[in-house]
Amino acid sequence: MIERPTIAAKAVIDSIQDERAKPQKPRGKGNIWAWIIFLIGMIYFFLPLISVFEFSLRAKRGVYSFEAYRVAFQDTEFYRNFGMSLLWSLLTIAVSLLLIVPTAYWVHLRMRRWRPIVEFFTLMPFVVPAVVLVFGMSRLYARIPFMVNYPVLLIAGYVVLSFPYIYRAVDAGLRAIDVSTLTEAAQSLGAGWGTILFQVIFPNLRVAILSGVFLTFAIVMGEFTFASLLSFDAFGPYMEEIGAMRAYTPQALSVVSFLITWLCIGLINRVARGAPGQGQIAGTR
Amino acid sequence: MAFLEINNINKAFSKDTYAVQDFNLKVETGELVSFLGPSGCGKTTTLRMVAGFETPTSGQIVINGKEVTNVPPNQRNVGMVFQAYALFPNMTVAGNIGFGMKIAKKPPEEIATRVEEMLKLIHMEGFGDRYPYQLSGGQQQRVALARALALSPTILLLDEPLSALDAKIRVMLRGEIRSIQQQLGITTIYVTHDQEEALSISDRVVVMYQGRMEQVGAPFEIYNFPTTEFVAQFVGTLNSYEAEVVDPAGQILRLAGQNVQTAHGLENKRSGDRVLIAIRPERISFPNEEKKENLLECTVETITFLGSIVRIRVLVNDLLVNMDTFNNPYLALPKIGDKSQITFSREAVLVLDHGPKA
Repeated sequence: MIERPTIAAKAVIDSIQDERAKPQKPRGKGNIWAWIIFLIGMIYFFLPLISVFEFSLRAKRGVYSFEAYRVAFQDTEFYRNFGMSLLWSLLTIAVSLLLIVPTAYWVHLRMRRWRPIVEFFTLMPFVVPAVVLVFGMSRLYARIPFMVNYPVLLIAGYVVLSFPYIYRAVDAGLRAIDVSTLTEAAQSLGAGWGTILFQVIFPNLRVAILSGVFLTFAIVMGEFTFASLLSFDAFGPYMEEIGAMRAYTPQALSVVSFLITWLCIGLINRVARGAPGQGQIAGTR
Repeated sequence: MAFLEINNINKAFSKDTYAVQDFNLKVETGELVSFLGPSGCGKTTTLRMVAGFETPTSGQIVINGKEVTNVPPNQRNVGMVFQAYALFPNMTVAGNIGFGMKIAKKPPEEIATRVEEMLKLIHMEGFGDRYPYQLSGGQQQRVALARALALSPTILLLDEPLSALDAKIRVMLRGEIRSIQQQLGITTIYVTHDQEEALSISDRVVVMYQGRMEQVGAPFEIYNFPTTEFVAQFVGTLNSYEAEVVDPAGQILRLAGQNVQTAHGLENKRSGDRVLIAIRPERISFPNEEKKENLLECTVETITFLGSIVRIRVLVNDLLVNMDTFNNPYLALPKIGDKSQITFSREAVLVLDHGPKA
């Protein structure tokens, strides 16, 4: 469960980077090998999913039905845990944006030499497993009641998890615009830092920020380790618990989790298509 | 007191690396002064110090009697136009032009009126609702100019505003910029590496090289009376040679084994001294009944057709000399290898200060 959104999220980041890199189109319809590779890829990706979906429909013996989904959606705990994960997601997104976007902006504007170091730190969740992170944080901050009694450590952990996704997305967005010149243009027109950030830089990073936001949302919604080890209610531990008791409902919840991730990816694409001037920052018609 | 004073400005990026050194300039109200020089000569750095984006290592900048050396850029009321247009992609043309006024908390009606005025000024009425990506490069730069002017800035700064445009648009737009500048009477600093651009629109030109001012003067003066080798080489095409002083009183020099007369002073020189002289190619011609001064024997090396002019390269002993002549359909051109003569007036032989080589 933990891995699925991560893989999907990575695929989205790759797709954003590919979009920016504008790869060459395939040479023609006759390229049979391209279709074969595409087909193998689709089978590799969709076959397990189809299997999970098919299994989730077998709750009633002998017939396909949505019984497992009905059972899942009738459970009040489902809504409570889903709601908690939703709350953690929103808090994580808010903190991440406030922390990462200004940092990335400042790194681009004034501290370009620090970029590799910042990038290194943002890769921490890929290098250090979540379980190690949560134990490290617990040991370090356990003596501060505020950190333990409130979901401060949980959100902090999620923010760390979101680092690569939000930072990379924002970084790609910042690379696409001439940050220094736009900042100086706004300054010469009397704008202060707040105005520059909120009226000039942020709106031009809309797609990049939303990409990061949706990816973070998808990750936090399915996260298990942090919530479980820090003993907070969340959708991930709830699925684990259900999995220990029921056979078909966890599969139904997995499919639901996937649908949420896909919905997020769909929203990214939709928003990216509708943004005025994105990708045409300083060029001419 | 001048409207803009740049006094003893220095800008060092490290202990030994100076981007700008000993820069002194006074700009009068309504004057358009161009900073001209090659890449890395410090012209943009100087402009950015006036705008407030760079802080001088030492020196003082005074605008309209107020010292602004350490005033942040957003409090200087200086309009700036950038090479890369720098229009805000998320805002419409009207949004871009009205941005500064919105920051200054002007009433919406006043902003709308001013935006319309500015659109009229740049001949882009009806473009207010478009986004920057829907405009051509020339239109984007016009909008950038309108945006910079909307707040009625004390000074207008233009940092190579036409560099990203094609040749025809550049010529048209530079005329428009000059016309708007004169219409508004706004004091303007214009940075460019294009000598033709600088010479055509400026009241005065500051030629810069390696962080220093080489020469300041009206375009006519800069072109016709360069005082250093660099200025002479950088502005226009030039023949420059070392010559030997033969007779300082008679203003006679020896060049490639032949005597040459100059109208410029050799008072401080003695016979045998070496001096640097320069002759513009368009001041050299083949002799006729009227032109017989400074007559030198030569051999025609190459003939290059450049459209409105024809450049002929001749060899005077071992010395290569470029001469330009206006093209016309009835021009009788020599053949390559022909033995001929060239002539130029005494006034055409400039005696330069020894400056850095271009």
